[in-house]
Amino acid sequence: MIQKILEERVYSLGILLVITALITSAVFPGTFPTFENFSQILLNLSIDTIVAVGMMLLLISGAFDLSVGSIVAFTGCLTAYLMHFFNIPVPIALAAGLASAFLIGWVNGYLIAYQNINPMIQTLAMMGIVRGCALLVSGSGIQNLPYWFNAIGQSKLLGVQMPIWYMLATVFAFTFLFNKTIFFRRYYYIGGNEKAADLSGIQVKKMKMTGFIITAVLAGFAGILLSSRLGAALPTMGRGLELRVITAVILGGATLSGGFGKIPGALLGALFMGLISNIMVIARVSGYWQDIILGLILIGTLWVDKYLQKEYAGVV
Amino acid sequence: MNEKQRYIEMLVRRIFIGAIIVLFGSCELPPRNENITRHDLGTDFDSVDIVNEEYVMITTAVTMPMYVNHDQAAFKRWGKKMNVKVSILGPADWDVPAQINTIEEVIGTHPTGLLINGTDPAIAQVINKAVAAGIPTVVYDSDIPNSKRHAFLGTDWYEIGKMQGEEMVKLIAGKGKVAYMGILGLTNMEQGFLGLLDVLKKYPEIEVVGKYDDKANVEEAARITSDILAAHPDIAGICGFDSNSGPGIALAVREAGKTGKIKITTVDWEPEHLQLLKDGVIQMLAGQKRELFTWYGAQFLYDMVHRTNPLAQNDAKAGITSVPYIINTGLLKITPENVDQFIKR
Repeated sequence: MIQKILEERVYSLGILLVITALITSAVFPGTFPTFENFSQILLNLSIDTIVAVGMMLLLISGAFDLSVGSIVAFTGCLTAYLMHFFNIPVPIALAAGLASAFLIGWVNGYLIAYQNINPMIQTLAMMGIVRGCALLVSGSGIQNLPYWFNAIGQSKLLGVQMPIWYMLATVFAFTFLFNKTIFFRRYYYIGGNEKAADLSGIQVKKMKMTGFIITAVLAGFAGILLSSRLGAALPTMGRGLELRVITAVILGGATLSGGFGKIPGALLGALFMGLISNIMVIARVSGYWQDIILGLILIGTLWVDKYLQKEYAGVV
Repeated sequence: MNEKQRYIEMLVRRIFIGAIIVLFGSCELPPRNENITRHDLGTDFDSVDIVNEEYVMITTAVTMPMYVNHDQAAFKRWGKKMNVKVSILGPADWDVPAQINTIEEVIGTHPTGLLINGTDPAIAQVINKAVAAGIPTVVYDSDIPNSKRHAFLGTDWYEIGKMQGEEMVKLIAGKGKVAYMGILGLTNMEQGFLGLLDVLKKYPEIEVVGKYDDKANVEEAARITSDILAAHPDIAGICGFDSNSGPGIALAVREAGKTGKIKITTVDWEPEHLQLLKDGVIQMLAGQKRELFTWYGAQFLYDMVHRTNPLAQNDAKAGITSVPYIINTGLLKITPENVDQFIKR
């Protein structure tokens, strides 16, 4: 049982989350353990988690995408631009926004999978290009978006904000897909040993390209959702999101070398980071310390995790 | 299919449809945009905690030296003088959604007052949420006019651009090539760019050769300036709009050996800026009185909570606040003539 828990980051991180939440509830009983606060934590991490699901898929296959933050900004800005300046109906603008994300993902995927460009170089370049496009499209930002667009991210269902539902739906859908479909399980084989996967008949290049497209579309969806939640599209949205998301996903059990990780791990990793952030706000820890503390926690968690695995499970 | 199976199927279908109806019935849409009226300003602060008084400043890019040395230093000094707790929160980088998240989380902790850096109009909703929660809320730096904030203190960024434009025209005698840079996409900076261009366009012999994004980074500003110098060796002047623009432009101009030949105007008055002005590399600094934003902003919060100057029998019921609605703290024009007054010894 202990061995199982230690082997699976999802379980060990889940336990760590519960322990942290219990201790914080005891220290800040008036402000931490409230429905509003938990709801706020989930709302704040919903955008990151949707992107993290895509990033988890890529990391399982042994790749990553640094352009996701820029895609978040661009799709939000493009959708807003079409609605605000051309009066394009909300559903068509949404489709155009998602289509643009699809196209960016396709370009990334094609050049990485078929032209063998290094994922870091390709997505780093795309990060700059797409961020520039977001600036071109939106200038200093677009306000006064249509009511029904804002309703996508600002409505509530059963008293819970919609972005939380979208996040949960994304996590459940991809968990199901990874558990029940052969197509998605192939990403583990690709991440574990790309050459062997290729020799066994898996269309590695096509699968890798699809992975980048899925990640970009999820980032596009997150961008639309963020604009809708803010009621505005800002070209500065999603700055630094790529590193936050990669951190959350690695915390959630993925490795940069590929072959490992589970979709719920993306949620738990983001949840853990969101929880720590929230505790620091409640404890009034100055912003100067927040990045330092988050970095230390990431290193500390991974180190303890490795140590325990080695000590009790014989797994390094 | 027998009768019993059909009955169960029908029952399941009805339950499913019922669940869908209940689910959609419980869907709560956001409120329609309301017009902000003066009446909205009157907030009852009876629920505000003045026993464990705590005033919270929330900004973005909390570690930016300009914020630390001016805004935050004055806010901390104010807290010390008034003997109340002050806290400074926000993301380390320029991240407006993260600032919004922080404000949302702080609202849940019911501080005595909120002092919010008006980074972008997108923060209006969360400001309204704070006001609706009965928390006195003051915005500083850039106004968020579409919000229900109780008061605003800051600088008119259009005036910053205008001041730079007017000085640049004087420095280059109304003719020559001019470039400008800052953080593209920020509302206040775009206002500044507009102010600059409105002045420059009145002079047909001035050619604006480019608008550049230095990403608030000294190295980037220096790199852009080097490129400008290569593309336009006859450039007459460069204007900077963020705290790091000036040092970056100055570095490249100095390295090119064109100190004093290319005129530089920029914003802010950190020790580095003042020294560059003293050395003759920069010709003018458009400074903001940032200390006043947060000192008086905090004081306004205090006065609202403590009802220092009640104007009616009950200000909240009268739909008013007892603090100024908008304060323009004005600008500082620092030139070689008065720079010594600003250098701390």
